[in-house]
Amino acid sequence: MRGADYVAKRLAFAVLTVFIAVTINFALFRLAPGSAVTNLARVPHATPETRLAIKRQFGLDKSKLAQYGIYLKQLVHGNLGVSFANSQPVRDNLRTALINTIPMVFLGTLFAIVLGTLTGILAAWRRGTVAEGATVTTALGFYSMPTHWLGLMLVILFAGVLPTGGMSNEFLIDPPFWTHVKDLAEHIALPSLTLGLVLYGEYTLIVRSAMLETLGEDYILTARAKGLQPWAILRRHALRNAMLPITTLVALSLGYIVAGAILIETVFSWPGIGRAVYDAVLQRDYPMLQGAFLLLTVSVVLFNLIADLLYFKLDPRITE
Amino acid sequence: MSVALREPGAVIELEPIRTRRGVVWQTIRRRPSAAVGAVLLLLVLLAALLAPVLAPYDLHKQAGPVFGHPSWSHPLGLDDGGIDMVTLLMWGARISLVVGFAATFVSMVIGGAVGVAAGYFGGKVDTVLMRITDYFLVIPDVPLMIVVAAIWGPSLFHIVIVIGILLWTSTARVIRAQVKSVRERVYVKRARALGAGHARIVFRHVLPQVAPLLIANTVLTIAVAIFDETALSFLGLGDPSRISLGKVIENAFQRAAISTGAWWAIIPPGALVALIILSCSLVGGAIEDALNPRLRVAHLSARSFRLRPLVGRSSDSL
Amino acid sequence: MSALLELEDLHVWFDLEGGRELHAVQGVTLALDAGQRLGLVGESGCGKTTTVLGVLGLLPPSASVSGRVLLNGRDILAGGEDSIRPHRWTDLAIVFQGAMNALNPVQTVSAQIVEALEVHGLASGRAARARVGELLEAVGIPRDRGERFPHEFSGGMRQRAAMAMALACNPSVLVTDEPTTALDVMVQAQILELLDSLCRDFGLALLLVTHDLPVVAQLCDRAAVMYAGEIVERGPVDALYHDPRHPYTRLLFAATPDLHGNGTPVSIPGAPPRLDRPLEGCPFQPRCDRAFARCVDERPLLRSLEGGRAAACHLNDVVAEKVH
Repeated sequence: MRGADYVAKRLAFAVLTVFIAVTINFALFRLAPGSAVTNLARVPHATPETRLAIKRQFGLDKSKLAQYGIYLKQLVHGNLGVSFANSQPVRDNLRTALINTIPMVFLGTLFAIVLGTLTGILAAWRRGTVAEGATVTTALGFYSMPTHWLGLMLVILFAGVLPTGGMSNEFLIDPPFWTHVKDLAEHIALPSLTLGLVLYGEYTLIVRSAMLETLGEDYILTARAKGLQPWAILRRHALRNAMLPITTLVALSLGYIVAGAILIETVFSWPGIGRAVYDAVLQRDYPMLQGAFLLLTVSVVLFNLIADLLYFKLDPRITE
Repeated sequence: MSVALREPGAVIELEPIRTRRGVVWQTIRRRPSAAVGAVLLLLVLLAALLAPVLAPYDLHKQAGPVFGHPSWSHPLGLDDGGIDMVTLLMWGARISLVVGFAATFVSMVIGGAVGVAAGYFGGKVDTVLMRITDYFLVIPDVPLMIVVAAIWGPSLFHIVIVIGILLWTSTARVIRAQVKSVRERVYVKRARALGAGHARIVFRHVLPQVAPLLIANTVLTIAVAIFDETALSFLGLGDPSRISLGKVIENAFQRAAISTGAWWAIIPPGALVALIILSCSLVGGAIEDALNPRLRVAHLSARSFRLRPLVGRSSDSL
Repeated sequence: MSALLELEDLHVWFDLEGGRELHAVQGVTLALDAGQRLGLVGESGCGKTTTVLGVLGLLPPSASVSGRVLLNGRDILAGGEDSIRPHRWTDLAIVFQGAMNALNPVQTVSAQIVEALEVHGLASGRAARARVGELLEAVGIPRDRGERFPHEFSGGMRQRAAMAMALACNPSVLVTDEPTTALDVMVQAQILELLDSLCRDFGLALLLVTHDLPVVAQLCDRAAVMYAGEIVERGPVDALYHDPRHPYTRLLFAATPDLHGNGTPVSIPGAPPRLDRPLEGCPFQPRCDRAFARCVDERPLLRSLEGGRAAACHLNDVVAEKVH
């Protein structure tokens, strides 16, 4: 298989990075100054039995190095601890939160990619005209807006028209299917839109840059010399080649989106991963914080890996 | 927002060192986008600097009712404590800019050092430093900032350090690429052959060439730093004793400005932040573009070449 | 009877920053008959590439063009891009300098040739692939190599592939821009031979652009020498070499190192004039070893001489006057 080495190398790097992230995670929370983190007495509503069990489980009475070992062992078993806030396993909390976040982030990202690609192509195609200037300036404008502020602006704008908080209407008891869907759709609209608007600007710039780069390549001139119509050249040669840097850059950015969702979920009270982090900070729920942070870091590593592999698959020139 | 996504390419050198000194100034003069950005930044900087003198009202004294409406005496209304918004904005910009500059300074020092070391010495040093950079890149900014701020406690100093620690990676990469290309220049090799020490070469030959790109990167980093500070404040992790623009937004949000319809407490501070970030992006981006000119002609474009009427014979033969 | 391809007073300007213009091509007039081979020679930057790009309409939006490009007597430049496009590849084909990226790196070579066939409606599907196989063989590339990507080809093979692609739609005129630059000497010889045989077998007219004089000598019967955007001399290659009528031609041929080691190569001091300002007098005058007073004030026109030759030099008038 072509480039089995390349894939293996990238995979190894990803695993190593995760390992380092895990270690940093541990160091951050267990070695941090102040006994607040490790002081199990802080666990609210915990019975003495629970506290003892947790203590033993995480070896909080042993040396730091031993704790590290135990931490790793627990991780491998998927045990991320118990949340201080609701005494549920962190893993389960995270899973619920993730399931809530993903549709919202997915929609927003899709919107951003589509809009960004269209405007980026437009800007590159109409280089040097007012259209390009306007497109780029608007993209930069949205790119410059603080995420949460944009969310608040949309709330102000759409207050009364669209729901501005939560994932669904709690007062709807056992609604029929389509009402339920409509309700969900209404609630997901504003947060996704916020994410989409904040993100698209970056993609516009990426796509425009990649297209301009591609349009200056010699094979575009060859295609033109062959008598192809401009649209055909754009589609068959320019876009196809520009997709390379675009895809990898987009994949790379995906890893960071979940982090950006923190602000949006706070504004819209969306019960997702970002909100979980925020709540965990407010409530000093360290196990949750630690677990969420680990999850976010791993997602970045994952998307970096995907970006690398995608690039490898799309560009026949890489044969390492 | 992620500065790390900008691609750091090696810069194509067109001019000798003498003319490059004016690159930043030239860019600002020549490109309208950079000029606009620079002017806006200057205005904001002035307003922030002169806040103690120029601010129309006292920052801590209530000047009217809570969430007072905009009026002639208070063009942007009053906030949740009855304080004049314009005054708040000026003082808030001060703190936000201070945080932005300080964090950027931290990140520049770290990033610059790492970048120069990696690019100049190459080899093992380079590999090790780049690996470290890669790991830092992987850590998602906002969550880490949240975590560290939560553990360490909110204070201006901590925030500056936290932001700075996360932003140095892009600077390092950019600087490294530039240093690598400069290192291979003839005059650097000559200086080395003449026995010049590393420090001397770095400061006299490498840094001046790297400076414009460093400036561009700095400006862009400031934008990200200010954004990060705003985000942290919004999440309640800002320094409670100082009012930054982010804090203004957070206060308004917490005190139900939206439900009371007090849009003036929310829109202006965020707009100001957006303006600052936009200006920084325009200036920094323009400098980057100027240093990395696209030498290639676009072979395909919406417009086509133009026809002109016949000029007239320049020969009598066919 | 009109020639196959004629350029009449072709001018090309490029927009520069600050509202100025670069007058890159200044009134080029050429004729090419069917099956003929014409070399367009000159230093880098003299405008020869821009000229042929202008013929095919492959100029950027910053360019302005005037003049006529007659294909079989009809002006194809008159309607701009739209009137030229139908003739690309089917009548006029070009092989660019064998740079790495003249072929699309993410498509196979045969896919790109198939595209040429399909776009012009000549063949599709299996028939197209069969035709591609024929073309590849004609240029000396094994059929199955077509399924590879351009980066898997050597420089010489890429050049051949580009030539195969250029022949796909049976053009009557083949333009090659620096066909041998950036190739090894051994490969150069092969490419030139290939070019020679292809033109013969397919009955192509050849417009060869190069700064390499021996290439012109080997392949072409006639040549036109360009300097500062205009043609300064035209005629049979032999005549240009043995009896140049323009000082630049003479110095150009003298500057070429002779394999037999006869005489020392002479380099021409100075540099070509800037084309963003109007020129007064002869453009070559500052570097010319035979310039006199008239050369400074009056720009020489391209004048017909005997034997189908032409030159733009006042010295030819002096000779003519002396004869009288």
